[in-house]
Amino acid sequence: MNHKWILLFLIMTSTVFISGCWSQKELNELAIISAMAIDKNAEGKYVKTIQLVNPGNVAGGLQGGGSGQSPTVTVYSATGDSVLEAHFHATSKISRRLYHAHANLIVISEELAKEEGITDILDAFERDPEIRMTSRVVIAHHTKAGDLLKSLTAIDKIPAEKVNGTLQATERARGESMEVTLQDVITTLTSAGKETVISGFSLKGDIQQGKKIENIQQSELDTTLESDGLAIFKEGKLVDWYQGEMSRGVVWILDKIQQTDVIVDSEEQKNSLTYNVVRQNTKVSADTKNRLPVITVNVRAEGDIREVRSQIDLTDPYEILDIEKN
Amino acid sequence: MFSFLKRKKQKNDRKIQELNNQNQTNKTLPNLIEKSLSKNLEVIKQKTGNSSDIVIRQLKICHNSKMKIAILYVKGMVDNQSVNDFVIESIINNQNLSEKLKPQDVLEVLTEDVVAVGGIKVVNDWEKLFTALMSGETITLIDGLSKGICASTQGGQRRSVQESTTNVSIRGSKEAFNESIETNTAMVRRIINNTDLWVESINIGKMTKTEVSIMYINGIAKNEIIEEVRKRLKGISIDGILESGYIEQLIEDQTNTTFPTIHHTERPDSVAGNLLEGKIAIFVNGTPFVLLVPALFIDFFQSVEDYYERFDISTAIRFLRTVIFLISLVGPAIYIAATTFHQEMIPTELAIIIAAQRESVPFPAFIEALIMEITFEILREASIRMPKAMGSTISIVGALVIGQAAIQAGIVSPGMVIVVSLTAIASFATPSYAVAITARLVRFIFMVGAATFGFYGIILVFILLIVHLCSLRSFGVPYMSPLAPFIREEAGDTIFRRPIWAYKKRPRLISGQNRVSQGENQKPQPPGTRVMKNTTNMEKGDQNES
Amino acid sequence: MEKAKISAYQLFILIVLFELGSALLVPLAIEVNQDAWLAILIGMVGGFCLYLVYHGLYSYYPDLPPTEYIQKIMGSFLGKILAFIYVLYFIYLSARVLRDFGEMLITAFYWETPLFILNTLMVLLVIYTIRKGIEVLARTSELLFVLIILLGISALFLIVVSGIIQISNLEPVLEEGIKPVIKTTFTQTLYFPFGEVIIFSMILPYLNRPEKVKRIGLLAIGFSGLILASVMAINVSVLGVNNITRSPFPLLSTIQTIEVAGFLERLDVYFILLSVIGIFFKMCVFFYASVVGTANLFKVKESARLAFPLGLAILILSITIASNFSEHVKEGLHIITLYLHLPLQVIIPILLLLIAFIKNKKKKSNHNKNLLPKRKYRLAERDKN
Repeated sequence: MNHKWILLFLIMTSTVFISGCWSQKELNELAIISAMAIDKNAEGKYVKTIQLVNPGNVAGGLQGGGSGQSPTVTVYSATGDSVLEAHFHATSKISRRLYHAHANLIVISEELAKEEGITDILDAFERDPEIRMTSRVVIAHHTKAGDLLKSLTAIDKIPAEKVNGTLQATERARGESMEVTLQDVITTLTSAGKETVISGFSLKGDIQQGKKIENIQQSELDTTLESDGLAIFKEGKLVDWYQGEMSRGVVWILDKIQQTDVIVDSEEQKNSLTYNVVRQNTKVSADTKNRLPVITVNVRAEGDIREVRSQIDLTDPYEILDIEKN
Repeated sequence: MFSFLKRKKQKNDRKIQELNNQNQTNKTLPNLIEKSLSKNLEVIKQKTGNSSDIVIRQLKICHNSKMKIAILYVKGMVDNQSVNDFVIESIINNQNLSEKLKPQDVLEVLTEDVVAVGGIKVVNDWEKLFTALMSGETITLIDGLSKGICASTQGGQRRSVQESTTNVSIRGSKEAFNESIETNTAMVRRIINNTDLWVESINIGKMTKTEVSIMYINGIAKNEIIEEVRKRLKGISIDGILESGYIEQLIEDQTNTTFPTIHHTERPDSVAGNLLEGKIAIFVNGTPFVLLVPALFIDFFQSVEDYYERFDISTAIRFLRTVIFLISLVGPAIYIAATTFHQEMIPTELAIIIAAQRESVPFPAFIEALIMEITFEILREASIRMPKAMGSTISIVGALVIGQAAIQAGIVSPGMVIVVSLTAIASFATPSYAVAITARLVRFIFMVGAATFGFYGIILVFILLIVHLCSLRSFGVPYMSPLAPFIREEAGDTIFRRPIWAYKKRPRLISGQNRVSQGENQKPQPPGTRVMKNTTNMEKGDQNES
Repeated sequence: MEKAKISAYQLFILIVLFELGSALLVPLAIEVNQDAWLAILIGMVGGFCLYLVYHGLYSYYPDLPPTEYIQKIMGSFLGKILAFIYVLYFIYLSARVLRDFGEMLITAFYWETPLFILNTLMVLLVIYTIRKGIEVLARTSELLFVLIILLGISALFLIVVSGIIQISNLEPVLEEGIKPVIKTTFTQTLYFPFGEVIIFSMILPYLNRPEKVKRIGLLAIGFSGLILASVMAINVSVLGVNNITRSPFPLLSTIQTIEVAGFLERLDVYFILLSVIGIFFKMCVFFYASVVGTANLFKVKESARLAFPLGLAILILSITIASNFSEHVKEGLHIITLYLHLPLQVIIPILLLLIAFIKNKKKKSNHNKNLLPKRKYRLAERDKN
């Protein structure tokens, strides 16, 4: 009876210990990917660019690490006939296991989105259980998707963070771009009656300059990343770019505006005051009138007057009503 | 007359038989005290190997009497003053003792008149005499009489009543038990002044004959449990009982568990509180630790002080303790699981920091954690066993050499040191040492689970632990009650601590029939409060004032 | 039959945990898209009816497990065969649950670990629990139920806070009329998870207050039905119909969508906790019924001794039951419901109830004599407690 239990114990412990290595992965044996980009090269092959974090350079200071001396990220590119093949080709260049779960940014090139559409490539991302569905998707505007990952950034140590942060900030403050997650893209792509809108991002300056660490060792960067318009999709293909006021209109209609500024003209003066929207609620309703579709956009906004250039008595409630009518 | 003697003889015979049955191993000892004093003394000397700490003082009962008596006691075990003043001196100076008295009369005079000590008993067999002698009583033997008088003069040097060192509290009685069983039972009786507080004593241990008392409140404690305790205690046959831990290990329900199923405490107020709930206390002579049965799992997370503070504070503290216990169980395990299996769960920035820290660490996280945990256990053990003077040395070696240097050398990562030290502190913050030690052991199982299957492993071990805990019983009471089986009216005193006035009934599974513990409407309702919600009351209040 | 008693509250929790067990994880009634919650609620009503049937049988034989009363109703020979089929059915179902669970762990978290190892660990844990008996299982469920509720509430809080619920995803209600919903109910939700409460007829004889069985059972089914329906509704409203139909584990996808305060992301551990605890109880109940049923049928005195061999059988069965996940799901949705669930959960119990009804009517006077003293004795016993 007794050695039966010992045997059982041995079997159990050995299963536990033998099995120990299957899904295990040490954090310092992972290549943490912060962003991925998909391009298409001249031969029609996919180019996958991945931005890896150099943890020692990011965490900095702790172990006398040389932050500032060496870049915080390293970028690799590989080509392949499918996204996954490109991915596997990339592994031959990297000493560690590629780890996607912290990839917060997916960049897709403009040409690819225009010519081929994004439906097929996103499938590879969706199937991988490691990739988070909350990672942001942007379209590279006027630049290669891979280049967007190669440029170093100043305040945010990791460029991917910088892109996400910028998107979020512009969405919050101006409403000209939107944070669009992978899940949002897939939802809008697959459901009928909804079309995809993705923010654009562009690289200003020389890419060769941006790759160098000297770029971020100056007060004004030569090469920067900027939020740039909204890419409008139809049936999975990029059809148009909306910039400035247009893109803000899109965000209004999608009821995603959190805060923005509206410049109001008065009767006598242009740009007489600036109104800062703090809260808003938009309702879109469709109807038919005389067999023509009529779409009504109802906006309820609430905010503060932040800048006044003309003579208005703001203590007078009627004046306020007047402004609101404008 | 004859028949009387005969009957007595029969009685003696029966006793002899009983004693024979008891002492089958001890056949060399004559069972009964003989009449001749010199022979008796010879027996004693032989039996005790002429031990030098046994004092034999021979006296005459009065100046011109031939009748001798002997007084025996063990040096250091007796209170010298009472032996000298109340036994020896009163025998020498007493007027009632004269040469004319027969031995039987001398016995009567001695017991009724002379020996001025509270507890007196007359014995006629060696077994009892020796037990009395060895426990510090003073024996008086009279020449020509086959009986001995035992006067309870126990005393000698004992540790005084001091503050508790293991169950420290800010508020509440500072007294703690000491090594003397009489003092200990008295301390509880001082709190519960009630005739229903019953004490039963037996001697356990073939060699040590340690006095063990069980104490309970008659009418509150469940009879079945008392009977079970008696039965288990009587079943013990062992050479010696050195500490209540011996008793604990000999009477617990299940031995193949790491969890304590018997509670122990050093504090009289804690014992009194538990007795009032219907539990049974087991006192063991020679140790300040009193056992309490039946013990429930939650008992180990409660301190008496919880009941002295207001309920909201105590509830918050109990919540904190639950968290502490969980940390001390699964702290390193979660760290291992998160860093080796589920990196996606760590916020990105933190993941990068940890990765950077681990960059130069040569070991997998599990080994790293194991090294740190074992190092910590070594430090802890060293600081307990070392003389107090060495304490600061150990803390310097521990903190600087092992903590700081190991990180700088890149053998362990700072994150791991934080986790392990947090866990270590958490394990000391659990009120009961017994369960903290268990948690320390179970923690390693959790770590193995985490290292092999990540969170799946942790959860499997966790369920296993819960199943195991639920399968335990302490003296027939389910260990996890009143949480499982869930008893609504008692669950208020688990990780919550409801207000004192809401304790209407005693625990159902522990106490017997008599369960009402307090009167109705104990919630304080001061007459003068101005509360808006009840207008009739307010009007009344106003009227009263006017 | 071991001499154990469980309380009404414990039965309630066991039923709820059993119902939630695997149904919470899989895409239930997803054929009807955004109306899944409705199909679940209708299934729940069907579950009430089925439970009343099982309870009817129980009330005729309150002290016997089904494996025994089947023999009383159908006669020894036929009854034994039927009882054996039921025991096999229970074993098969627990193997299915185990497979579901292993596949889920592999798909979502441990894609490099063999199915066999993941399943083995679970089976060992279940064997350990079952050897401790039904009382320990019931007590464990009480503790872990609290944990599940806390997890559920906090998850709901996080989902609401991260603002990902879009009620508009639930519209339009009944896009294609009520027909597909009813159809899904009768091909799926009625049997899984609600019809599976038939397993509890093996456990009902342990209840210490038999008069409460009906109310507690219905309450538990209602409670779990509401939870399942609302979880499904939340899943749909978070993910949208299109995502949910493509997700093998909608709850996991929902939890992965949570993003609060920039650092509460990827809370997959919630899902692991929920699924392991839920599956553990579902397995335990199925396995317990199999063990007790086998012991009862083959007159094995110590039913705990059967735990190891049966556990091994279930483990092997769970691996060999299907060659891949798709086959497994296909079997579960189409073959099992039609050829196993429908006859064993619905048709046979109703037939049994009819026969029992007729039989008992015949010898009503006789039966009453037997029944009354028993009831009295039970009441007296209860008062003592």
